Amino acid sequence: MKTIILGIGNPILRDDGVGIHVAEELKKQIKKPDIKIDTAFTGGMNLLDQMIDSDRAILIDAVKMKNKALGEVGLYDLKDFSAFHTCNPHDVSLPEAIDLAKRLGERRIPKDIKLIGINIGELSCEFGEELSSEIAKAVPKAVDFVKKEVVEDE
Amino acid sequence: METITIDPITRLEGHGKINIFLDDKGDVDNAYLQIPELRGFERFAQGRRAEDMPQITSRICGVCPVAHHFAATKALDAAFNVEPTTAAKKLRELMYMGYYIYDHILHFYYLGGPDFVVGPDAPASKRNVIGVIEKAGVEIGKEVIKHRAYGQKITAILGGKATHPVCGLPGGVSKGLNKDEVKNIEKMVDSCIDFAKFSLKLFDDIVLKNKKYVDLILSDPYQLATYNMGLVDKDDKSNFYDGMVRVTDQKGKEVLKFKPQDYTKHVEERVEEWTYIKFPYLKKIGWNGFSDGKDSGIYRVGPLGRLNAAKGMATPLAQKEYNRFYETLGGKSVNSTLAFHWARLIELLYATERAKELIKDKEITSPKIRNPVGKPGEGVGIVEAARGTLIHHYKLDKDGLIDKANLIVATTNNSGAINMSVRDAAKGVIKAGKVDDGLLNMVEMAFRAYDPCFACATHTLPGGMPLEVNIYDNNKNIIKTIKQNLQENL
Repeated sequence: MKTIILGIGNPILRDDGVGIHVAEELKKQIKKPDIKIDTAFTGGMNLLDQMIDSDRAILIDAVKMKNKALGEVGLYDLKDFSAFHTCNPHDVSLPEAIDLAKRLGERRIPKDIKLIGINIGELSCEFGEELSSEIAKAVPKAVDFVKKEVVEDE
Repeated sequence: METITIDPITRLEGHGKINIFLDDKGDVDNAYLQIPELRGFERFAQGRRAEDMPQITSRICGVCPVAHHFAATKALDAAFNVEPTTAAKKLRELMYMGYYIYDHILHFYYLGGPDFVVGPDAPASKRNVIGVIEKAGVEIGKEVIKHRAYGQKITAILGGKATHPVCGLPGGVSKGLNKDEVKNIEKMVDSCIDFAKFSLKLFDDIVLKNKKYVDLILSDPYQLATYNMGLVDKDDKSNFYDGMVRVTDQKGKEVLKFKPQDYTKHVEERVEEWTYIKFPYLKKIGWNGFSDGKDSGIYRVGPLGRLNAAKGMATPLAQKEYNRFYETLGGKSVNSTLAFHWARLIELLYATERAKELIKDKEITSPKIRNPVGKPGEGVGIVEAARGTLIHHYKLDKDGLIDKANLIVATTNNSGAINMSVRDAAKGVIKAGKVDDGLLNMVEMAFRAYDPCFACATHTLPGGMPLEVNIYDNNKNIIKTIKQNLQENL
């Protein structure tokens, strides 16, 4: 089974880039020929392009969750999100892109798409490459979460 | 006072918020577009290596990475006192056309088009690209996807990566083209020319042949007689990648033409208390509040601004469409906000034709793609991002590190006009407190036409997480503003 793991976010927008940090860490820890690990600073159509031809996609992104602790890591289904976070307001959402691609007869969309979300509370509006301390602590947790997810399914 | 808030704005991912203020009778008194903006880029840039700016700035916002990449690269050309080789300029411009192709296709078919193709009164759930496909057919949907991908492939072949190019260097580019790549690109470009023609025909059939839509385009709430700005070539024809900045008035007469490095002499940024977004205006005319007409220095950029600011298009088919545009909509300048959509398609056609000229140019495979840089100094780079004029300005220290950086992004250039368009559309469609989904969409249509990139529209304010509370009196004036981490920076 071909798996793609994508860390999503803006690497220069502080906690928004947490998915990128997780993916970079996973690259060091997972070395398997059928698992590709990459980063994406994009959403919608371009994000879907990066997932095409994989059987399974695991997306790691910052999420805003009320009633959850900062830095909490959770597994979500795409269906849980009516509007999927994207760094790009000039695009369609990922569920919309998938819906569209399916209608146009695209058969190479991963059957299994999961989102591992790290709750960042509020989105930072200030540029920076560093994560806040709470969110930095969530990175190893998210790494373990992804590893467990990948192994359990195999 | 009753406040109606449209939030989130569909298809723009909820980054924007419009507040509409009604009077006692339920009519629109005023409307404000408020956006959570990104800040502190200048400080973030300070002390970084100048040559990293094309990569870093392409990450400011996912909307126009290629435009930021080249605005930064051109600012570095100027800052390092180097003129790129002619081949490098052509390679950059060709890549830039790839960006226009995918960006304009995306906007027309996915973001702006649904309002027209599906209909402005259709329910929100249908006004999206899926609705367009249902109406126009699956085959057209496939063509849309294919040609958007072609634009991205052209960009990727030249830029290394489709979304975040790595090719721009002061004095040139890092990579040229080989003959196989040229053949590949030419094939895609030919197909894109046909698709651009088709898209204009589709606009003709669906919009221009429908009196209701033409009336809507020409209706009062969507008219805004501002000045217009865009880059032009030596013949005053529109150019996306390079040239002089030209400004025309409400009748299409030139009022300013200046070199990129002189922008600070002509453009001033107005600060308002209720938003961090700055509102640029022409110094020569002055600030006259949120008003249009001759006495207000507010100008528009983007497809409509560019067409109005130029004397024409530099390619034959686009020029024909340009003429038809002005014949149909009543001569220069066209002040209808909804005409942005048509202008965008004319630009799509120009981009494909220009790409063809460039790919057929013998010099495009030249290995002379870079000139050596000079001593670091100061430089301004201006390109036309798909959504309007984009300005990068850097001052380097003697070691080539960024000392100062200033950016004015396209959506900021349009911010005054966008706010007025939102207000006017709201005035036109909300009467006596009556609001339904179709009406609200008219308001959204007003600013969607500009194709704004809210995520990157502001970035100039340093400081911590700001907090702002506005208190309005019954005349809807702000009587008190409580600000945190904000006042000292304004």
